[in-house]
Amino acid sequence: MAEFSGHLSLRAAARSDGRTALAAQSFRAPYHLSKPYWDESARVLLMQVVNPTAGILAGDQLQSEILVDGGAALLVTTPSASRVFRMKAGSAECRQHFAVAAGGWLEVLPEPLVPHRDSRYRQTTIVDIESGGGLFFVDQLTAGRVAHDEAWSWDRLCLEIDVRLDGELILRERLDQSGESLRALAEFAGSGPAACLVSAVLIAPDAAVETPWRATVSSLHGDGLWVGVSALRRGGWSLKFVARDSVRLRQAVRDARTLLSASFPRLACDPRKL
Amino acid sequence: MNSAPATSTDTAWLCSLLQAGDSFYPTGSYAHSFGLEGLVQEGVIRDRETLRQFLLQSVLPTLRHTELPIAAHAWRAFDQPEWLLIGELCVLSSALKTAREARLASENIGRQRAELAANLHASALAQEFVRRAAAENWPHSSAVAAALEGRALGAPLPAVLAGLAYTTLAANLAAAMKILRLGQNAAQSLLTETLAVVPAVIADAESTPRDQIGWFNPWLDIAAARHETADARMFIS
Repeated sequence: MAEFSGHLSLRAAARSDGRTALAAQSFRAPYHLSKPYWDESARVLLMQVVNPTAGILAGDQLQSEILVDGGAALLVTTPSASRVFRMKAGSAECRQHFAVAAGGWLEVLPEPLVPHRDSRYRQTTIVDIESGGGLFFVDQLTAGRVAHDEAWSWDRLCLEIDVRLDGELILRERLDQSGESLRALAEFAGSGPAACLVSAVLIAPDAAVETPWRATVSSLHGDGLWVGVSALRRGGWSLKFVARDSVRLRQAVRDARTLLSASFPRLACDPRKL
Repeated sequence: MNSAPATSTDTAWLCSLLQAGDSFYPTGSYAHSFGLEGLVQEGVIRDRETLRQFLLQSVLPTLRHTELPIAAHAWRAFDQPEWLLIGELCVLSSALKTAREARLASENIGRQRAELAANLHASALAQEFVRRAAAENWPHSSAVAAALEGRALGAPLPAVLAGLAYTTLAANLAAAMKILRLGQNAAQSLLTETLAVVPAVIADAESTPRDQIGWFNPWLDIAAARHETADARMFIS
């Protein structure tokens, strides 16, 4: 089976008419880019990153770098869930770097990660943002192929993210737990065997500890959906969601974006527009 | 034949470490439940058995993967003080806590412990740390402060980590006794059970590389975040 050493490099810049355009792009399989779409209403350039292969396979080495200049606004999404397939040997790795300059906006909203049984996958994400830049970064994780009775059965899953504001670390998260450990936590908390998780980060130039949207987003909590919002060390917030299944999680993320768009209008861009 | 004594007879650090781990020691930890009250409000922790599960599935792994490794790295960094690294560990400790009040709990307890080490023991190391933390705006950290305390007292690393594990478990159980129907004997039985695991946890934590520090429990983070705006609550965190 083919192993990929894929790379993706994008730079979004503001044009003289105020629209965002890709000032530079470079990619190699398994990455592929859709044609970008300018959302005039939300003032965001929407890009879909497509993996034309079935998913992530043993030996895949993926590297991406997305830069957003001041005045530019970019939403990067994927058209479908990223499956991490069973690996008889070896592992796969993805390294991502995102950078947002002052006055820029970046939303990263990939569809959920679905780790299959016996998969081994490491994803390292580094976000560098300058004061005055904006970011909404969403990482979604499912328990696995629940319909196949295959949940929390990866061999190794390591998801790491560092977020730096003006070079200072403001958030570090590291999930490197066995599926059994997360399954036990999910069952303990009453989220059931097919729980899905979202960890999101919102960085905004006018970040304050208390904001009007915090209460409205937090009010989504209930009936099996867990929602928590809290201020980071500085510059933004951590938003976390846990749902009993992927359908509920998808709806929660949609609802949260809708509520947040009242304060952050660029989140009104429909990621499924393409 | 090995003529080295089987055990150290120098117990000066032990007495001071016992003092620092006592509930009588004014760190302010009595005001915090470290997310426990939030999970009680969510109905997850209801009784002795669910509290036991919380200690085994959340508190001990957090110690194993986060607090103890940070303390271990800090204890080594305080030897010939590597101030840049110590500052980075303070920031890392803060950045790992996504719930604001969990972060503030660590910062407040850490600040108090560092200042006590500087004042009670006239430790030049602790005084220099407090000065640098203020000058360079480092966030205080209960784990880094435990390491500083250990160095100020001359305590060996395993004892420092054991002290940190003990105070963490005891603080959670002390909070649980105020929130749940839990008697002293039940709390002590849970403390005994969890302390039995601590030596293995310490052994693993001591060798954790810095880039592998971290533990993910979104339920605890969410409960702690929601607790910040709860209509009624007994604890700060």
